[in-house]
Amino acid sequence: MQSESYPIIKLFVGVACTVGLYSVLYRETKFYRFFEHMFLGLAAGWAMFALWGETLKSTWWDRMVGSVADEGNPAVPGYWAWALLLPIGVMAYFVVSKKHNWISRIPIGIILGLWSGQQVQVWFTRYGPQMQSSMKPLFPTTWSEFITPLQPEAGAVYPAQVIGNLIFLLTLLSAMSYFLFSFETKSKLFNGMTTWGRWLLMIGFGAIFGSTVMTRFTLMIDRMYFVFIEFFQQGLIPLIGGR
Amino acid sequence: MANEKTIWEKLQAIDRRVLYTLLMVIATVSLFFKVNVPTKPGQPTKDLYRLLVDDEALPEGSTVILQSDWTQSTRGESAGQMEALLRILMRRNIKFALLSVADPQAPLVARNVIRAINLERKAKNQREYQVWEDYVNLGYFPNAEGTSNAIAANFKTAVAGRKETPPGSATPLDVFQSPVLSKVSKVEDVPVYINVTGSKTSNILIERLGGRVPFAALVTGVMGPETLNYYQSGQVKGVAIGLNGVAEMESLMEKGLVETGKPEVKSFAGETNYGRGMAYYLALHTCLVLMIVAVVVGNVAMVAARKKK
Repeated sequence: MQSESYPIIKLFVGVACTVGLYSVLYRETKFYRFFEHMFLGLAAGWAMFALWGETLKSTWWDRMVGSVADEGNPAVPGYWAWALLLPIGVMAYFVVSKKHNWISRIPIGIILGLWSGQQVQVWFTRYGPQMQSSMKPLFPTTWSEFITPLQPEAGAVYPAQVIGNLIFLLTLLSAMSYFLFSFETKSKLFNGMTTWGRWLLMIGFGAIFGSTVMTRFTLMIDRMYFVFIEFFQQGLIPLIGGR
Repeated sequence: MANEKTIWEKLQAIDRRVLYTLLMVIATVSLFFKVNVPTKPGQPTKDLYRLLVDDEALPEGSTVILQSDWTQSTRGESAGQMEALLRILMRRNIKFALLSVADPQAPLVARNVIRAINLERKAKNQREYQVWEDYVNLGYFPNAEGTSNAIAANFKTAVAGRKETPPGSATPLDVFQSPVLSKVSKVEDVPVYINVTGSKTSNILIERLGGRVPFAALVTGVMGPETLNYYQSGQVKGVAIGLNGVAEMESLMEKGLVETGKPEVKSFAGETNYGRGMAYYLALHTCLVLMIVAVVVGNVAMVAARKKK
């Protein structure tokens, strides 16, 4: 009986938490606060458990202490040097000390140094291919067909493709010109480009916002699915009907 | 009498809680209608489907790295993506090494989806995916940037020490002894690196993997527009964006993919293809209609109220 009831109890707790957290839409109350704090506590507790069980034990502790041979696993010697990481990690907690918080800057400095060192390579691997793909042909190589056919000739650039590339280039240059704040310009052409760039950016932001709204709706729909389909229709009603 | 509000003023002053309730009611009612809304898959989703199902891009029985970086907070979009992806991988006997870098809860959430899809296969008398033989769970790795860098530099060292218990054994063994990773030592050894993400870990992987391996991403609607830049430049080979991407993938699984000048990609007709994506799709449409109506009514009411003044 206990094992039969467990899934529905689990779902009920989920539904109660959903209602509790969504109650903020009405007003922030103690009811909402209770569920908010419970959620934060659970997440923090689980994070600590997962950090040890899934990360620190295998990647730090086991490597430091080593292991004896057992069924299928060879003996692995421990490397004491891994212990040196512990004081560096502990130093980060001095951030809560008013007197010694300067110590916490040492591990932060190490992390920042490592991160900064990677940025040159990271920048190029991230934006290099995008800059490369922005170099598009602006002159057609064939006039055999105006619109790009479904099976285009290899390497051929069609007039319609060029029109698309020109629109791309205009968008790219206009949007980039909007961000040139270092000097004032009285050129009508340049000012027109920056205005056009601002319009294009606004259209882009609108599209991004639309996509974001769709995500928010989907998250709400999923919660409704959980409450009314997974809990009521698939969980509670069959349970009541089964009895 | 002079202070009585007009209909336009009343429309502008609708309490937000009324709109929230209306939205929830419309979404909930729509969920009870099982309608397959017609979709026309976009090129990013088509490319993703080709990458996952075409035998040349991903040979049957090969191993992929599956980085699952989502939790319950983006279940609406990411769960559908993960389910569709796992259905394809399992039907093609693709082995996968599962890891997470975004959230400590992510491995547990991913394992729950694997269990659900396994139950679905069991109900259809299909072979269940077995840990060790078909997939290994590498677990959670903190610091997305550092982990991605380490994976790109030396995959074997990056995940060294991770163990998994083979079925029928009590002793956890090194994951590189498993059939899943026995032939993998560097990231270039896998044909595709897949990231299902509810955050920006796809961007981190793009910049850290640096094109060493074909990369596919299943992202939320929030990350979609940004990820399309990387798709246009060829840094991402295929993308599924949000719920729309899930519905498109499910539609492709049902109907297959025919493109001029490219080999046909098979469908999985007769299997369970429509899942969470199509279940939510009608509700998404009705919610969007409500929002458009609310925006239009609000603006018309504002203009009408101004004119009256």
